[in-house]
Amino acid sequence: MDSNIENNNKKPILEAINLSKRYEDNALALDNVSFTIHPGEIFAMLGGNGAGKTTTINLFLNLIEPTSGDCKIDGVSCVSKPLEAKKKVAYVSENVMLYPDFTAMQNLDFFIKLGGRMNLSKDEYKSVLKRVGLQEDAFNKKLKGFSKGMRQKCGIAISILKDAPAILLDEPTSGLDPKAGAEFVNLLKELKKEGKAILMSTHDIFRAKDVADTIGIMNKGQLVMKKKQSEIHNEDLEQLYIKYMAGYMENAA
Amino acid sequence: MFKVMLKKEILQIISSNKFAISFAVCSILILLTFFVGANSYLLSRDQYEAAVQENIRGMDGITDWRMINHRIFLPPQPLAALVNGISNDIGRNINMEGMGELRAHDSKYNEDPIYAAFRFLDLNFIFQIILSLFAVLLLYNAINGEKELGTLRLTFSNSVSRSQYILSKIVGSFSAIIIPLLIPIAIGFILLPLMGVPMTSTDWISLLGIIFSGVLYFSVFLTLSIFISASTAKSSTSFLVLLIVWIASVIVIPRASILISGRLVDVPSVDEINSKKSHYMRQISGETLSAMGNFKPTSNNDIMREFNEFMDEINTERDEKVTKFNSQVNQERRNAQMEQEKLALNLSRVSPASSFYLISSSFAGTSMELEKNYHEQAKAYQKVFADFQREKEGMTTGGGMMFIVRKAGVEENPIDPSELPEFVFKPPSLESRINSALPDLGILFVYNFIFFLVGYVKFLKFDLR
Repeated sequence: MDSNIENNNKKPILEAINLSKRYEDNALALDNVSFTIHPGEIFAMLGGNGAGKTTTINLFLNLIEPTSGDCKIDGVSCVSKPLEAKKKVAYVSENVMLYPDFTAMQNLDFFIKLGGRMNLSKDEYKSVLKRVGLQEDAFNKKLKGFSKGMRQKCGIAISILKDAPAILLDEPTSGLDPKAGAEFVNLLKELKKEGKAILMSTHDIFRAKDVADTIGIMNKGQLVMKKKQSEIHNEDLEQLYIKYMAGYMENAA
Repeated sequence: MFKVMLKKEILQIISSNKFAISFAVCSILILLTFFVGANSYLLSRDQYEAAVQENIRGMDGITDWRMINHRIFLPPQPLAALVNGISNDIGRNINMEGMGELRAHDSKYNEDPIYAAFRFLDLNFIFQIILSLFAVLLLYNAINGEKELGTLRLTFSNSVSRSQYILSKIVGSFSAIIIPLLIPIAIGFILLPLMGVPMTSTDWISLLGIIFSGVLYFSVFLTLSIFISASTAKSSTSFLVLLIVWIASVIVIPRASILISGRLVDVPSVDEINSKKSHYMRQISGETLSAMGNFKPTSNNDIMREFNEFMDEINTERDEKVTKFNSQVNQERRNAQMEQEKLALNLSRVSPASSFYLISSSFAGTSMELEKNYHEQAKAYQKVFADFQREKEGMTTGGGMMFIVRKAGVEENPIDPSELPEFVFKPPSLESRINSALPDLGILFVYNFIFFLVGYVKFLKFDLR
């Protein structure tokens, strides 16, 4: 059975419902954006800087409040019940920065417990750190000596250990070397198989096409395109991206 | 969740190099303060006991109580070595006469001016300067630093409320910094009796009061740092703001308040007062000389005794007049001085550093009251001493001219110095120390509450992105 048809029967994990955000300086950061992401689905948001990708993630994390609309995680509103909603989501930022004076294990221990999982053993931490590709001798080293890729692996390990149904990834592959990028894509595929609903904002068109089930293009706060991977399977996504961005600009002009 | 964040906060602070260095410096300074303070007290006590003995020895062979050169001394107090206050600035020795004005001289700084230039290391300095700076250095980036690091976003991607976060930040920072510092303080407490410093229960309670107020003062800078850190976007900005506030609070305000009150309230100088007194003294001496002309002996047998009695009467009358005049001009100066002091203290209380100084010196018994207490007790002793001299010799010293007559061929017995009434300085009671410290303790509580509250409210609106 087609996975999309299968997903339509399931309850969505991540939902953006007519989501708008206007900042105090009157700038419209997000304009009536709606989408749903089902279990085992990856939604890649493409777009330039200031397109609204990070604003969308910030709204899901309740770091800001929407001007109108709502967003839900596993049916729980991020606006009215943010603490409840955040129990159901894990987050990996563009540039994972953990506590530099803590070891990888200490960072994991803190953020995992913060995520509500109090009784995980050290062995479980270690097995996930191994799974994300962090070398064993780095487990008990302080983070201040870690490369960006190593920190990113720790961030992903935290999100895996939180075992939340939804994962938000804010430009997770930016700045990673090709090997680390490829490892990350493989990991995403595994998470997808485990049934996680993943929202990923990225500039990386090629990785998005490789891994995402749905691709959205954002420009000036609007979701100007949203297509299933099957719809764009044979298309040149780069051209499509440029076309949508240009088309939107013309319309806007 | 609160416990998890609290643990992280403590671990984050104590695992940083900044903390390791600051803690090592503070521990060494605290231990050094107790060690040097105890040594200094023991040395001062030996010097005091030697001076008292020397005073008694100086009476050897003297046969007339009017001939003695009697001095009283301010005994060293154990806590004064730990919180100097004004104890090193005021004169410790007073030449005792049965009449006349008492002047204390030979302050510690007067004896060793090098100490006046660089001052002693004491708990006041440690808390007022070092620990407050320690709080600023460790916590200037408590909130905005986490935002810059990116950990704030990651933390708030979890089910964490802002209230829990800021409370854990404040409680965690406080525990992480203060609890380790209680270790060298506790060692210092043990060091005192081990080194032979005789601490009374009042001393122990007062010392605890000093440490408690030090912690409260430290906490003002802790909550202030968190408040400033939650009010500024960049840690470099909060550092600059805190440094300015620290300099203003610890250095500028206490000094500026004295300058301002000096401008606003005019206090006649000591020279002016002395000149007035000398002028009156000259006037009254003329009257005394004229009165001396009225001396008419009733017999030729005991003319000097009659003269001394006559002079004692004149001297007593003159002393009453001089004392009255001097008291009046002194009181006028003291009133102006008190008004100036009151204004200066009230202005300086804008700074928590001044409040802490006032609390710790009150608890240590080295506040500005020390000089007044010593003078009042010396004055009371002067009366006892004058009565003693009168009882022994029929007249007292210090009034002016007097003749001591020795009868030829009559061997007089030497005086017994153990008969001399002893001057016992009574340090302020615990109750009066607490009462003096209470208003400033209240001020530190208010500062803590205000900074905690505004820091808390600021963080509720803090941009977490």
